[in-house]
Order: sequence, then structure tokens, then C-alpha cells
Amino acid sequence: MAVAHPLDRYLRTDRLPTMWCPGCGLGILLGCILRALDRRIREGSLRRENVGFAGGIGCSARMTLYPYFDSAHVIHGRAIPFALGVKIVKPEMKMIVVGGDGDIAAIGGNHILHAIRRNADLVVIMANNMIYGMTGGQQAPTTPRGLYTTTTPYGNPEREINIVKLAAALGANYVARGSVTHTPLLEQMIYKALGKRGLAFVEVLSTCPELFGRHIGFRSPVDLYSELRKRVVVKTRPSVEESDYSWERGFVIGEFVDRDEPGFIEVLQEYTSRARGGAG
Amino acid sequence: MRIEVLIAGRGGQGILLLGHILGRAVAKYTNLYILGSEIYAAETRGGDSRVDLVIADREEEADFIKVMGADIAIVMHQLQLDAYSHLIKDGAVVFLDRSNVTSVPQRKWRVFLEPYTDIAEREFGTPRVANMVALGHLVRQTSLVPPEGVEEVIRETVPKDWVDVNIRAFRYFLSR
Amino acid sequence: MRVDYVTGNTAIALGSIAAGLRFYAGYPITPTSDIFEFLARELPKRGGYVVQFEDEIASINAAIGASWACAKSMTATSGPGFSLMVEALSLAVITETPVVVVYVMRTGPSTGVPTRSGQYDVLQATYGFHGGLVVPVLAPATPQEAFDLTVRAFNVSEKLRTPVVLLSDATIAHTYGRVVVREPGEVEVVERAKPSVPPEKYRPYDPGEGLVPPMACFGEGYNVLVESLTHDERGYYAPRSDVQRRLMWRLYRKIVESAPELFDYGAAYLDGCDVALVSYGSTSLSTLVAAKILRSEGYRACSIRLRTLFPVYEEGIRRLLNGVGKVFVVENNVGLYYRELRGVLRGSEVVSVPIIDLDLPQPREVVEVVKQWL
Ligand SMILES: Cc1ncc(C[n+]2csc(CCOP(=O)(O)OP(=O)(O)O)c2C)c(N)n1
Ligand code: SF4
Repeated sequence: MAVAHPLDRYLRTDRLPTMWCPGCGLGILLGCILRALDRRIREGSLRRENVGFAGGIGCSARMTLYPYFDSAHVIHGRAIPFALGVKIVKPEMKMIVVGGDGDIAAIGGNHILHAIRRNADLVVIMANNMIYGMTGGQQAPTTPRGLYTTTTPYGNPEREINIVKLAAALGANYVARGSVTHTPLLEQMIYKALGKRGLAFVEVLSTCPELFGRHIGFRSPVDLYSELRKRVVVKTRPSVEESDYSWERGFVIGEFVDRDEPGFIEVLQEYTSRARGGAG
Repeated sequence: MRIEVLIAGRGGQGILLLGHILGRAVAKYTNLYILGSEIYAAETRGGDSRVDLVIADREEEADFIKVMGADIAIVMHQLQLDAYSHLIKDGAVVFLDRSNVTSVPQRKWRVFLEPYTDIAEREFGTPRVANMVALGHLVRQTSLVPPEGVEEVIRETVPKDWVDVNIRAFRYFLSR
Repeated sequence: MRVDYVTGNTAIALGSIAAGLRFYAGYPITPTSDIFEFLARELPKRGGYVVQFEDEIASINAAIGASWACAKSMTATSGPGFSLMVEALSLAVITETPVVVVYVMRTGPSTGVPTRSGQYDVLQATYGFHGGLVVPVLAPATPQEAFDLTVRAFNVSEKLRTPVVLLSDATIAHTYGRVVVREPGEVEVVERAKPSVPPEKYRPYDPGEGLVPPMACFGEGYNVLVESLTHDERGYYAPRSDVQRRLMWRLYRKIVESAPELFDYGAAYLDGCDVALVSYGSTSLSTLVAAKILRSEGYRACSIRLRTLFPVYEEGIRRLLNGVGKVFVVENNVGLYYRELRGVLRGSEVVSVPIIDLDLPQPREVVEVVKQWL
């Protein structure tokens, strides 16, 4: 088989094309993840066999079907505990959790909350397409107030979640928001996240032309993509207070938190070693 | 051979510890099989405490966890004696704490009525080891378990500072 | 090997250690917390991990994750928690993940009487999750059985790559008993089969000649796929009837065809038995005594304690009860497992003896009910 693309060696090419709709933003995200991984693997800071993916259910979580690594496509909302189970008993693994905003912020909300509180050593990439894609365009916790979805036909009455603030408040080591409209920056964020101990959280604004776009009047993928691009505000080292998440005021992207506190696994191992008469 | 043992008293009298030590000693220092259960009131002082043991030389005879007709009983308080005497069968060997028992029902029991709590206070300076005084009495009269086994279990079970006084209390009846 | 005097719950914890437990994930719930607390003290000494998660859902999913990293893993819960776990158990079934779930039944429905006993969840333990497949359910009645069956539960789960439910109850949980405790290395321990082919050739759901595929773990270079969707031997989603058929029948057969091997029971007073009192778990203690009482009153009664509840080994049960005139199924619920046996024992008269009691049913009560039918 001829190598058609430099990233093919990280893909289960026999599963391509992906299940995503034409023009979906998720393919762009997958590209950024693989390029970031490629950099890490080539520079020797990550071993390929130590990379593992986990995703719940959703278009975004299906990203776990394609990378040619150890990978788990589990149940809706539960990829974080699955990944943490792997990580605790095999600390050498770099576990990457990929999921949608429903998967991670709604049904998986309790898990992300506690994973961040623990500063669990996971890379969590939340693809935010502002709706539920897989199930047909329903409201998500990230849907901006006022927008139309299939379950909010009169407009979304709910306030949207700014997960950057949540992740920052609970003490993640790394918190960034990127967008598929700004790929070099997104790739850089993921690259950085892969090098962190503790919890690294990357929210990724993505486009769902099929369901979100159609409902709000941007029928073609390019229109929705351009619309999102217009509403994205890039900031260098913005503060958490500046992390605006708003259809009207715009979506601020950038790195909000970058600190280096010990991760859960390290601390757990230290405490566990006390039982064996080790340190402490 | 199959023996049912009932140990009962009020919370705070060390009933569960007594039962646990006896049960453990039987399990570890005899060839007998044993099952046991505990009941304790929500409050640590005052309510019912009760341990039931079923002991047998064949595994399938150690078949239940509740006493249906006790062969051996220690009852440390009048309230529990009133409540549970129907569970003690005729011919049973019954040890009663005279310090807390004022009226003994007319039954065909072999009764040992001794002031375990008073003995504990007088001889060992604390009522808390009345349970061990009673246990020593039981062990002496029934030969259910070797005393050395019980002492071994006391050493494993009781907090360090309390081992000595518990063992001395346990020996009270054994050494007379 | 040593003799100890411990509760059913402690026996389960000790059994799990003997079987090679390396990861325990839990969320506190009565009456299981002492399993958790015991392991929190003891497992780290042996290089294992014990972590309290944010809920039972996280606990079971983490246990499944740890199993995919090659660690034998376990969680313990009771009704409310098991109800939260069932979705993930279904995941463990389709992904063929070895994991042991200790289910200590308490009184329900809902919060019921949290500290007291019952056997209301016997069917939930195997039928409670979607997908219509069976997981093995083992039911101890004494602390010794709790120890032995815990070891067995791990072995079965490794061998068949399946979740296994160890079904105990609040009575057994706090019953003390003499237990022969074996240390790791002193019991027979089964490990899951590992792939014998190089990573390029490895197909994670290819059972080869048998029914159970060898299992590679995360971090071994095999690029494993854990897939909750219907998948082919490669682990690729395949929404096709032929694939679904193949998968379903294999998952079904690997458990059901193991029934003879998994079948386990205890019997007493068998000779000449004409009145069988069949039971399981703590209630089988009442039944054992009841059979003895009936014998003493001249009835030809015997007692049968089932230690494997699922898969139901129909032939084995039929053979065991062959020629017995009346079979009484005694249980502390409205008569649930009776329904399983009624279908199996179509030839004999099968009578349900449901006795609802927060503690053990009194043997006398069992005797009285049975006698009404004799
Ligand atoms: C327990 C459970 N509830 C509901 C579903 C149905 N479901 C599948 S994906 C999904 C939401 C998908 O949205 P999101 O996580 O945002 O991912 P996206 O598809 O938008 O990428 C839902 C509700 C499910 N699979 N499991
Ligand atoms: S439904 Fe939306 S998110 Fe899902 S694949 Fe299609 S475009 Fe992408």
C-alpha cells in the first residue's frame, strides 16, 4: 500500500473514510491531534506504544476509531474513568480522552469535575460543536442561549457552560480553548497538553454543518466555518476572566492556565508507597 | 457435636469483644467449625448487644448463625436475660453477672451466678474487663477452648495497653 | 495458609487478594464499605491500588479500564450502586472485559433498609443490563464460601473474559466464620490468555478455535480496540446481521456452554430425598436447618444450596433432583429464582417458598410453610 499521507502511519487507513459528514470540523481536529503526537513521538518525548485513546459516544468520541494506537470506544460519558483506570495501573501510558460537549460536559460532567479536582494525569480534548451531533442536533450544555436546536425549537433558554472557567477553578494544570478554524494554534495546544503532567484540558470549537449549521441558517460547511472564524477572538495568554464564551461577544481562544503541580498519579503512588514502608 | 452459644448484655459491657474473642479462639485454636453473628444497638451504650455462635465438629453442622436453643450462655444484664431467656434451652450452662442480674427465672439451667462487674472493678480497677472475667469463667467450666488460645487471641485483638489487664481478668476464674 | 475468623465481607477482600487483585475502585455504600476499607489498608502493601471514585458509574468504568491495562480489578456495591453500574456491565460484556463485581444485596426496593438483608436482586444480577446476555453469578452463603467463590469469580472472569457477579447479602456480609485463608500462590489462579501472534496479526476479538479471544492490553504495542459497538474480529464497527449473529452467539455460548464447569452446589441429607429444599445465599442456612428439622420429624427432606446461580445448568439441576417428588425453592424475596427452576424442572412439582424477612428466614417458618404442601 502506497503511503498517501504522512500521517497514515498513525491511522487505521483501512477504516477510512471516516463516518463524519462532509465538511465536519472533527477531521481537522483529528489531523491536529495526530500531528501533535507525531511531533512528540519523533522528538522522543512520547513512545508510540504508550499512547492510548478513550472516547465515549458521539461523533467526536468516534475519533477513537481511527488512530492506530491502543484505543477504547466505550459508553456515553464514561471515557474519563475508563482512561483513569488504565492510567492508574499503567502510569507510563499517555491517555488521551476525546469526546463531545455532551459526552464530557453533560452526561460525563461529574467525571470531568472530579478528574480535574484530582488533577488526574489525562489529556482531555472536548470537541465543542455546540450541539449533540450524533443524536441529531439537540441542545447541549454549550449551546449558546437563544440559538435553535431540535429540542429547543423556540430558542435555547439555558445559559451555556464556560468549561474553561470550570477547569481553571478546579485546578487543572493546563487549560486551553482552541478552534478548528485556527489549526496551527490548536496543534500547538495539543502538543503542549501531551507534555503536561496532571490534567490538561483542551476545549476545541468545532463545526457541525450537518445539524448545527443547518438549524441556524448556515447550510454550507464553508459558511459555518467562516461564521465561526469570525466569532473567534484569538488572545495570547488571556486570563481566565477573559475567557468569553458567547455567540454575540465572541469565543476567546488561547491558553488560559499553564501550571505544573504534581498530578494525581504521582501523588497516589507516593501515598501508596507509604503502605510498603516507603517515603512518608 | 453441635453447640450454640449466646452472649448478651447491654451496650458498653464489652459483649461484642467477648463474643469475638471466643469465636476467634474456637476458629483458630480448636478443630471446630463456627459461624457467628452480632447484633448491636445503634447507640454504643445502653441498647442490646448480642453475639450468637454456632459451633460444630462437622462443617455442615455449623449450619446457622442464630441461636435457636443455646447450650451455653453468658448474660450480663437483667434486661437481656428477660429478653432472651427463651433462647436458652433446658440443660444449658448459663453464666450470669450477679452485679446486674437480680432475678433468675426458674429454668432447668446449670446457673453460675457471679458478680463479674464487681469483681472487675474490685480486682482490676475497671468494670470494662467484666467481660473477660466472665469469659474466663466460661472457659473454665466448659473447656470449649484452650485458655492459651484465648490469651493468644486477646493479644491479637485488644489494644496494647489493655492486653495485660484483660489477660489478668480472663485468668481470674481459671486460676482459682 | 492460615485459619482466621472473619466476616463474609472480609473473606471477600481476602479472597480477592489471593486471586491477584491489583485494582479496586469503589464508592461507599452499606453493606460493602468494609470490603473497601479493608482493601484500602491491605492492597497497597501488595502493590495494588485502591481508589474511591465519584460514583459507582466511575468505579465500574475505571475497573474496566484497569482490566484493559492488564490488572485484575474489582468493585463492590449493593442495589442502588449496581443499578448505576449496569450500563457499564453491558460494556464489559461486549468488550469481553474480565472484572469482578461484588453485589452485596440489601433490602430494597430503592433505599429500603440499607443495613438489612434480602435476596430481591438475584435476577438483576444477571438480567439487569441491556443486551440480553448472561453473566456468571456465584452466590456464597458463609464466609468460607465467600473466600473460595471470590477466587473462583476472578478465575472465571479471566478464563471467559467476562464480568462476574459475586452475589452476597447483608447477612453474609457481617456473619463471622472460620475461614481457611490462602495467600496468593496458595490457590489456583487463572490468567487470561494472551495473544500468541505478533501485533500486526492480532485481532482482538478473534477467538481462534475456541470461544474466548486472547486479550492484549493497553501499552503492549498491540493497538488494541475496546469497542462498545457491534464489532467484527478486528474490533471494527460492523452494523451487519451476520456480524451481530456471530458476536451474539459467541458471547452467549461462551458462558452458557461453561455451565457444567461452573455448576457448584452443596447438598445435605441427600439419601432417599423426596422433599428438596433448594436455596442459595444466606437463606440456604435457614433451609439447611429446616431440612434437618423435617428429617427429625420423619420427612425425607434434603437441602440443596446452589452456589452458581447463572448460567443455569439445566441438565445438572435435573440430574441432581431426579426422582425427588417435591422441590421447594426457598428465598428471601417474592419468589424470583423459583421462576428459573420451574422451567427447568418441568417433571417435578416445584413450589415457591418466598419468605420476606429483614434477617434470615426462621427455619421453623420454612418448615411450617413446607409442611402445608406435604
Ligand atoms: C446513556 C446514553 N444516553 C444517551 C445516548 C445517546 N447519545 C449518543 S451520542 C449523544 C450526544 C452526542 O453529543 P456530543 O457528546 O456533544 O457529541 P457530538 O456527537 O456532538 O460530537 C447522545 C445523547 C447514549 N449513547 N447513551
Ligand atoms: S453530525 Fe455534525 S458533528 Fe457529526 S459528523 Fe456530521 S457534521 Fe460532524
